[in-house]
Amino acid sequence: MTTASLPAKHPTGNQNRWKTVRKQLPNYLFILPHYFFFAVFLLYPIFRGVQISLFDWKIMLKDQKFIGVANYQALMSDKIFWEVLGNTGQFMVITVIINVIIALFVATGLKHGFFGSDFLRVLFYAPGILSVSVLGIIGIRVWDTQIGIINYFVTTMLGGPRISWLGNPDIVIPALSITTVWWTFGFPMLVFIAGLQNIPEPLYEAAKIDGANPLRTFRHITLPLITPTMLFVVVTQFIAHMQVFAQPYIISGGGPGNASRSATMYLYETAWKFFRFGYASSISVVLALVMIVVTVILFSMMRQRTEY
Amino acid sequence: MTISSSNASTIQRRRFLRGLRRSLLLWLVFLPLALIVVVPILYMFSMAFTLEANQLKFPIEWIPQPVTVSNFIKIFIDPQLPIVRWFTNSLIIASAGTAIIVFLSSLSGYAFARLEFPGKSFLFSLLLFSLMIPAAVTLIPAFLLLRDLKLLNTYHAIWWPAAASVTGIFLMRQHFYSIPTELEEAAIMDGAGRFRIYWQISVPLVRGAMVALFIFAFLGLWNDLFWPLIVLSDRPMLTLPVGLLVIQQGSYIQRGLAFAGAFIASVPVLLFYAFFQRKIIAGITTAGLAGR
Repeated sequence: MTTASLPAKHPTGNQNRWKTVRKQLPNYLFILPHYFFFAVFLLYPIFRGVQISLFDWKIMLKDQKFIGVANYQALMSDKIFWEVLGNTGQFMVITVIINVIIALFVATGLKHGFFGSDFLRVLFYAPGILSVSVLGIIGIRVWDTQIGIINYFVTTMLGGPRISWLGNPDIVIPALSITTVWWTFGFPMLVFIAGLQNIPEPLYEAAKIDGANPLRTFRHITLPLITPTMLFVVVTQFIAHMQVFAQPYIISGGGPGNASRSATMYLYETAWKFFRFGYASSISVVLALVMIVVTVILFSMMRQRTEY
Repeated sequence: MTISSSNASTIQRRRFLRGLRRSLLLWLVFLPLALIVVVPILYMFSMAFTLEANQLKFPIEWIPQPVTVSNFIKIFIDPQLPIVRWFTNSLIIASAGTAIIVFLSSLSGYAFARLEFPGKSFLFSLLLFSLMIPAAVTLIPAFLLLRDLKLLNTYHAIWWPAAASVTGIFLMRQHFYSIPTELEEAAIMDGAGRFRIYWQISVPLVRGAMVALFIFAFLGLWNDLFWPLIVLSDRPMLTLPVGLLVIQQGSYIQRGLAFAGAFIASVPVLLFYAFFQRKIIAGITTAGLAGR
């Protein structure tokens, strides 16, 4: 036990402890490079963000005016804020649900390899390799009323009328959700495949011998055993989609009206279009609080369900 | 104990047929989904080679008549759209940024897995705490800080906030944990320094995880739109994803150009993906699961 990395077995007196600490000092050099940037660009901004939200922060001013919780009071009566928060929640719920269902369905099919299953797995992840800007350029044309791909199939194959997908406040968010699912379902699919492959095969064989049909097998074996993976997927998906920005920003411009404007888009515009940094900070803090609370609820909900 | 060969081959053939039937059935289920995934991508490729005048044709002209590279020529000669420069920016930002992330994460991950120092658990819990906080909160302060440091519109504005990311540390820490301590202890006996042990013994043993992190970080930096959109505004300093927005907006509502730009941004990553698909899929699964 001569190494600096291991705690001394019998710390006798201060002198010995000092010796160990002195030996351990060089170890800080390993974490220092990262910790420096972590402290400057992540830790400090978290507290600074809360602080800025208490000011009437305008970018041009030298001395910022402290206004206490006035930003938050304004935010609570800001109709647009509640609308964009609702839009974001709606987008997140639709996206997460479709993503989880499709990803789990595809993963169940691809789990046992068959002719071409590796190819399909690679193919299904491919959209996730594209930048969200590219997704936007494609998305605009997929949903276009006049020349869009979807209306092409609607008119030529179903003989239906051209539908204004992005112009309808009731359809625009589901349309953006479907676009996002196309782009992102590959990741939860990969995670589910990994999770499903961890379920011991004898369980399925036993169920088969007992004459359980596939649906019952799924309900009573797959679903309970996939719950930890499910928790991971739902939480990461929730965090990702609550911060949606580029899809509405590029594809629908947040419209019609504010019907598809997301919270992050509103935050971006408040800060970098109207330069109201204090108010934008209060938006970010409230958004963060909402997300933290929901994450904690998700965790405790899922944990209860795992414990039977 | 002799199973007649004809019997064995019947069993084999039956198994083969069952496998074939399963494959066919699953393909029947997955083919529509595969088409939904592929068609928009092929459409983007097709439109990149379609004349501007034919962009609005309906019903859609899936194969361009004629196939043209005019959209690409228009982008390359337009001084307002320095796409080669954007491509270079993206490449420099993503590759150097990835190198920084991989190096710092492995150093720190090694320390949290293997070394002892006062305050270790507190420092680690701060990293965990930061995971709870959505990026939205840090955007404005980080932007103002970079502005005060006069680092807006430079590569540094992307590199150093990226260097602060913590997910790579969890991944690396987990993998450093899994290597046996005996190897390191033997090296300590031989009097090797900690950094040498890390560099010559431990790092080679977690190469797989480092490759995973490399892929994950590179794709993230290459594709990111939001942060570059905030900190880069000088046109020659933009990255490809931000440049694509410029092509679409303002006076550039030329649909063919947008698709040509999207083509230029996507083809390198798609080719990279096609060549290293196995590694990338494994890497994304490994790195993506690190937060668990």
